Amino acid sequence: MPTVVLMDASLSMTRPVSLEGSEEFQRKNLAVHGLTMLFEHMAMNYRLEFTALVAFSSLWELMVPFTRDYNALQEALSNLEDFDKTCLELALQGVSTIMQQEWGSACPCQLVLVTDGALGIGRGSLRHSLATLKQRGEDKKFPLPFPFPCKLYIMCISNAEELQTTDAMDNLEQLLILSGGEGQIFTMEGPLCLKSVQAMFGKLIEQAYMPFHAVLRCGHLTSDVQVFPRPEPVMIDEEVDPVPKHVLTEADEVGAGTTDEMEEDTSTNQMAGKSPNFCVLLHGSLKVEGMVALVQLGPDWYGMLYSQADSKKKSNLMMSLFEPGPEPLPWLGKVSQLGPISDAPENPYGEDDSKSPFPVQPKSKRSYAQNVTVWIKASGLQTDVQKILRNARKLPEKTQTFYKELNRLRKAALAFGFWELLKGVAELLERECTLLPDSAHPDAAFQLSHAAQQLKLASTGDSQYAAFEHNITPMLTDFSGGGGGSDRL
Amino acid sequence: MRMFSVSHKTVFVVDHCPYMTESSRQQIECDMLTKSRAQGVIPLAPVSKSLWTCAVECSMEYCRILYDIYPTRKLVNYIVSDSEFHILNSWRQEDQSVQELMTALAAVGPPNPREDPECCSILHGLVAAVESLCKITEYQHEARTALVDLADRVANRGRIICLTNAKSDTHVRMLEDCVLETIQEQNKLAAGSDRLMPIQQCELVLVHIYPQGDDTLVSDRPKKEISSVLSSEVHSVRAGRHLASKLNVLVQQHFDLASTTITNIPMKEEQHANTSANYDVELLHHRDAHMEFIKSGDLHMAGSTSRDSGLKETVTLKWCTPRTNSVELHYCTGAYRISPVEVNIRGRSMRSRSVLLEQPRKSGSKVISHMLSCHGGEIFLHMLNSTRSTLEDPPSISEGCGGRVTDYRITDFGEFMRENRLTPFADMSLDAAGRPPIERAKAQLERHTRYWPMIISQTTIFNMQAVVPLANLIVKDTMTEDDVLTCQKTVYNLVDMERKNDPLPISTVGSRGKGPKRDEQYRIMWNELETLVKTHVGTSERHQQVLECIIACRSKPPEEEERKKRGRKREDKEDKTEKNGKELEEKMWTQDSDRLKGAMEREKEDQSESEVIKDSPDSPEPFNKKPRLATEEIQPLEKSKGPVSLFSLWTNRITQANSRKHQEFAGRINSVNNKAELYQHLKDENGLDVHENGKATR
Repeated sequence: MPTVVLMDASLSMTRPVSLEGSEEFQRKNLAVHGLTMLFEHMAMNYRLEFTALVAFSSLWELMVPFTRDYNALQEALSNLEDFDKTCLELALQGVSTIMQQEWGSACPCQLVLVTDGALGIGRGSLRHSLATLKQRGEDKKFPLPFPFPCKLYIMCISNAEELQTTDAMDNLEQLLILSGGEGQIFTMEGPLCLKSVQAMFGKLIEQAYMPFHAVLRCGHLTSDVQVFPRPEPVMIDEEVDPVPKHVLTEADEVGAGTTDEMEEDTSTNQMAGKSPNFCVLLHGSLKVEGMVALVQLGPDWYGMLYSQADSKKKSNLMMSLFEPGPEPLPWLGKVSQLGPISDAPENPYGEDDSKSPFPVQPKSKRSYAQNVTVWIKASGLQTDVQKILRNARKLPEKTQTFYKELNRLRKAALAFGFWELLKGVAELLERECTLLPDSAHPDAAFQLSHAAQQLKLASTGDSQYAAFEHNITPMLTDFSGGGGGSDRL
Repeated sequence: MRMFSVSHKTVFVVDHCPYMTESSRQQIECDMLTKSRAQGVIPLAPVSKSLWTCAVECSMEYCRILYDIYPTRKLVNYIVSDSEFHILNSWRQEDQSVQELMTALAAVGPPNPREDPECCSILHGLVAAVESLCKITEYQHEARTALVDLADRVANRGRIICLTNAKSDTHVRMLEDCVLETIQEQNKLAAGSDRLMPIQQCELVLVHIYPQGDDTLVSDRPKKEISSVLSSEVHSVRAGRHLASKLNVLVQQHFDLASTTITNIPMKEEQHANTSANYDVELLHHRDAHMEFIKSGDLHMAGSTSRDSGLKETVTLKWCTPRTNSVELHYCTGAYRISPVEVNIRGRSMRSRSVLLEQPRKSGSKVISHMLSCHGGEIFLHMLNSTRSTLEDPPSISEGCGGRVTDYRITDFGEFMRENRLTPFADMSLDAAGRPPIERAKAQLERHTRYWPMIISQTTIFNMQAVVPLANLIVKDTMTEDDVLTCQKTVYNLVDMERKNDPLPISTVGSRGKGPKRDEQYRIMWNELETLVKTHVGTSERHQQVLECIIACRSKPPEEEERKKRGRKREDKEDKTEKNGKELEEKMWTQDSDRLKGAMEREKEDQSESEVIKDSPDSPEPFNKKPRLATEEIQPLEKSKGPVSLFSLWTNRITQANSRKHQEFAGRINSVNNKAELYQHLKDENGLDVHENGKATR
């Protein structure tokens, strides 16, 4: 989940913090101190996170585009200049643009807004933006909620009391609600000093930037892993099951057996590099065998592990999370019904790996896999009638196809209550009978009038002839010698 | 998403009253005469569908699309109404198919035009629909049962789609009132029943169908809340094509569907094989597959066009050739079932394995945003990530923990994975212990990994082909008698190797020079084998037997060797008596005919091997373990047994007998049931209990 740090660079940030008997700080210094702490933490423990730095006042500027280079972020931070007034709406607009340009609109993001809580005055102030929220046209909509999922963390370089003397707190709370409610407003406790700003950023780190540690387990083979990005809790059905599902930190690899991705940790010191690790073994074998491993993340929650290689020579173990549920991929069937091949009477993969029990076939065929009759468009009906007529002219060679098509039409007409069509086709067949050339096989005439008669009977709705499951069978004639006719000259 | 939203239950109420036999007045020319045949033939008069036929076929299309995209959990109950109501299917999952409904509809047939219109009303059906909505579905039942105390979290909502020909707006209002009243009544009833649930929310969709050319007597009305439980909307539609597109729009609205048109699909048919003819197919699917377009407000950029009624939007994607059939994993963020808007047209080419779909762009690079892929006869539209990924440039696994280790047992673990592959089992296939298949799979992983060294230099036995049969069998949950025999054979084979002094694939990592001496190597190997087998010893009696076999056969543990070295002389003497004991016992065994038989067979087998041993020019130096014991045995035996008088003949015979005896010993154990004692005896021979045996023989 990429992070955008939105840093207030307005003049009010340069307000000094009153501190007794020590060096004088500006609020900006405190903010920079807090962010430094965040960046240091990320460089150590969360270094795969992409972070961008945006400074804003009445305008906004992308100081550092998304990067994993925390030195660059740090440097930009220390070179931050002071500008004029606060205009949050424009800055949020900017964040929205930057995010979508870089990651599209499906990628969730975390926005860390660092401000002193002086949210501007007059036009462009947050108060003004919120007040005019409902009077806007499509083109001037407030940027929140963002099109992408976003967690909004508001770091106030001021304490709650100070914010409550104005409507700043109310406005920020409203902003949080507008963004979708995910996130939190942090304020400083006690006097504004380095210590309290550290405490505040400490809370943010704890809330949003704690590495996700877990144990990957395959029977007795285990490995401590860090998963990045961290898997977020998922709400499946807020009504029936309103508790978000969390990934259990004990992941069970279930066995060897396509979605959002995770990545395993790598960062630990070189010493650890020398003792064998199950992840490396698993990764190597998955890569060589071209297999994926099924991994259980919680009750009825599964994912898969596989070797993911980027374009270069590097590859790593990846975990994809499936949607929580007992049957995340229909073509695997219910995951709880997957068992070891040793329990099967014979190896479903074949002795030479030539077969596979997957994909599991669905119980019923979808419409596109069947011969469904649809006459919504006139052309559908016309095609079906023409098919019958075409075969009728090639009797008795096409007897089988003729009756097959005839019965398909008959069934659909009966279901749709379209008896008029049955009569119509019967008439057509009778006419075909009269148009038969002299050279025609005598069987053709018999079959045509038989078919026409049967259709007419069906069109009366008489239960004896109009039963849906009933099929018109070819007439047994002296010529057809059993009705087939297809093998005749 | 909520499982029990209004879309969980849909009731179709279709008017079956006499006026529905009226023609839609949309005429279809079935008799398409070819020019050559046109002369002198009077073409058949065009046919036209009745209002009933129009209603039925459009509702079937609605169901077809619904079932294609939601094969389960979204249920339809089909009711027709004339002088009474006819319920054509139930909420049960097995009743949910177009075929099922078609069969039932055929049985109902078209409305009877001669029926008394006074007795006929759509009201019968609407009342039945409300009653039906109160009936609990198997999914609701399941959820309630699972939640027990929180069963009231399971909601009961539903939708009634009523296809009728109404008289007027007043008539429509009367129908709405009737539905509301019935809901109130039924909810009271349902409150006191276990199999019924009160309706919390009901959406009534009234579709007024009138023949083409007529003026409508009923006006359209958007959705409006009639009460807290009932909302209602009215659509006034001409029969035929208009009705079809109306229901198509409705099914999309009701089930969150969106449309994608795939263009540039190459023709497959023979007559077009040599041309570059292409065609388009429009697909419906869950609208989440368009997430990226919807969110970014990019629908138009992505080639979306309004079609037909203007209500329907479709996103155009281009078919990418050539198809990829590779098993490469794409960065896929979702897969959605599809249903073609027109089922008649060729779906064949879409059933190929995988096709990438590209966003049509006027300029710039090719953006692949989706993939059509078929899994088990079902086509899914996969959403692929087309923007920058936060996963880019991941660190290599070799940079992490254990990344510097180079001798992982990659191939062995590959084999392990292949043995632990999963396969689907039938529902409810629990084993004797009541475990579902997945738990059995986990249990198997547990068993198979009890002793599984990850790197080559950590193991000896898994580097030895000779151990494979035992290693494969010992992890089994249940071993057969044959399995035990195979394991024992493996052990004897190892004993043999040791005697032949075959080198072992022992890692020399970490040790200087040539590594451990050969006897030390075997000690390590035996220890490891014991470790492996000991982890399974609790599984069954037979597993225990394997361990016993190993303990009995393996060379002495080091502490005993120490003892032995110290008390070598004493032992030499004791050996004599021990051998006597063994001899005696062997005679007893041979009396047992069953065992004899087996023993003879082994003997034959082993004969050749024994010869090999004799001829083997293996360096005699490490002969200080078992082999030396053997020579020690011979000496005292000759002394004790041989009467001096038969010396020359006897010496030869004794030598022969002794060599045979030595082989027999192994063979017998293989063939008989009661091996434990014999092995104990062997162990005794090498170890502690000598005295006792010695005494016994004395």
